Amino acid sequence: MLDLFLTAFVGLILLMGLRRPFVWVLAFLYVDIVAPQKISYALLTNVQLSLVVFMLAVVGWLFFDNKQGARFSGRQFMMILLLIYCYFTTQSADFPVEAADKWSWVWKSLVWAIFLPLALRTQLRIEAAALVMVLSAGALIIDGGLKTMAGGGGYGALKLFINDNNGLYEGSTISCVAIAIIPLALWLAKDGTIFPANSKTRIFAYALIFAALLIPIGTEARTGLVCAALLAVLMMRAVKYRWLYAGALALAALLVQPLLPNSFSNRMGTIENNKSDQSAATRLAVWKWTLGYVAEHPFGGGFDAFRGNKLEIVTSDDDGFGSNSNKIVDSGRAYHSAYFEMLGEQGWPGLALWLTLQISGLIQLEGVRRRLRKSQAPSDRRYADLALALQQGHFVYLLGAGFVGIAFQPFVYMLIALQIALVQQVRRKTAPVAVTERRMQVPGSPDAPLGTATPATAN
Amino acid sequence: MIDYFAIALTHGLLVLVCLRLLTRGDLDRDPAPEEEVPLEAEPEKKAKWRVRRA
Repeated sequence: MLDLFLTAFVGLILLMGLRRPFVWVLAFLYVDIVAPQKISYALLTNVQLSLVVFMLAVVGWLFFDNKQGARFSGRQFMMILLLIYCYFTTQSADFPVEAADKWSWVWKSLVWAIFLPLALRTQLRIEAAALVMVLSAGALIIDGGLKTMAGGGGYGALKLFINDNNGLYEGSTISCVAIAIIPLALWLAKDGTIFPANSKTRIFAYALIFAALLIPIGTEARTGLVCAALLAVLMMRAVKYRWLYAGALALAALLVQPLLPNSFSNRMGTIENNKSDQSAATRLAVWKWTLGYVAEHPFGGGFDAFRGNKLEIVTSDDDGFGSNSNKIVDSGRAYHSAYFEMLGEQGWPGLALWLTLQISGLIQLEGVRRRLRKSQAPSDRRYADLALALQQGHFVYLLGAGFVGIAFQPFVYMLIALQIALVQQVRRKTAPVAVTERRMQVPGSPDAPLGTATPATAN
Repeated sequence: MIDYFAIALTHGLLVLVCLRLLTRGDLDRDPAPEEEVPLEAEPEKKAKWRVRRA
């Protein structure tokens, strides 16, 4: 039944693409996030769904779409450089078979992120992509949220549709991503035009956000809790009544505490007392090993280079009668941090390139927000709000990435593509204004808002 | 059961998104500033309250 439903759904969406080829771009976003071919057990598993939809999206854009104003941005070039660099490190990787395996999905994720901004060239397309991403991730989040409420959570025990530990189906990854898209869901509920702002849209958005907040509880991923705390602080910047917001937040935290499962509270307690926690001690040992490794291999060891590590982990536990220390020998432990993942696998140049890609996005979004802050034009207000939402989401990701190896998480690269599309869109709108302003420049006059300016071609 | 509910709800909304996009002219071309959809109007109750306070 589920199989038939998913097949009919994918077929219907692909048919709609015949009328508006951009729908194929949205279809790929959906396929890459939800992976219906994994949920399905017969029909969809027999076709290379991801490849077919990717080809349709690219062909649709190449032959049937208007490419006016489409141009590459600096961040797209950075991703091209990263792609080439990763290709070379894969050729000389410490573990060629495993490295080739990771490369097989990393390159697709990067190529898609490089392509996507070219297709997102109107305000509505950017909104549609954001909405499809939120709804697709929402399928997993609603599923996980409801199961958590029904008592089905637990560390490594929350099953989202399928028993899979890849992509968004991995507990810590979905915890980080669920929190990172909360600002985007709020933006869609407030400024959306596909589902205009009304009580129904708001109720759905709040329910989705509630489910997203339940994900770190259900997965018992400490990363999610840290991410949620950061988002709460970041949102202080945008709310009108800060003290009221802070008070409501503190009250909510107090009220929620007795309702949390014991296993969750115990696990979150290890954030403070990490000396007794083997998982935290292993991370520190892997990070120390990585620093030593890149001192000898400054260009990294290629994908999955962590497989070569051998660690000696010492944990200490104070039981009230004295401290006991345990020594554990372990090997081939993953990085558990995107920063150390980049450092160990791609070396210092790879890490520098990756960090530049991330930080330049935050700076560009801040630029967009500041430039449009005072404008009253509806589209400018929407862009400014979207820039803030994407920036908050990216800060959350960068914090979560400190504790999870998600340097090449495809969903995050889709968010980066959205950021690029937004910055490009604002630049396109700015360009004619710049010409108009030059023509009509009066020394000392304040900047005219973007949305109210007349395009140069109309003069 | 929860799986079915989560899939039915989100996939239903995804179909609705695509259906609404099929009829939108601004999918391929941005509207001129005067054609833009205005932002959400301030709720009537809130506006009245503000006038009373003033």
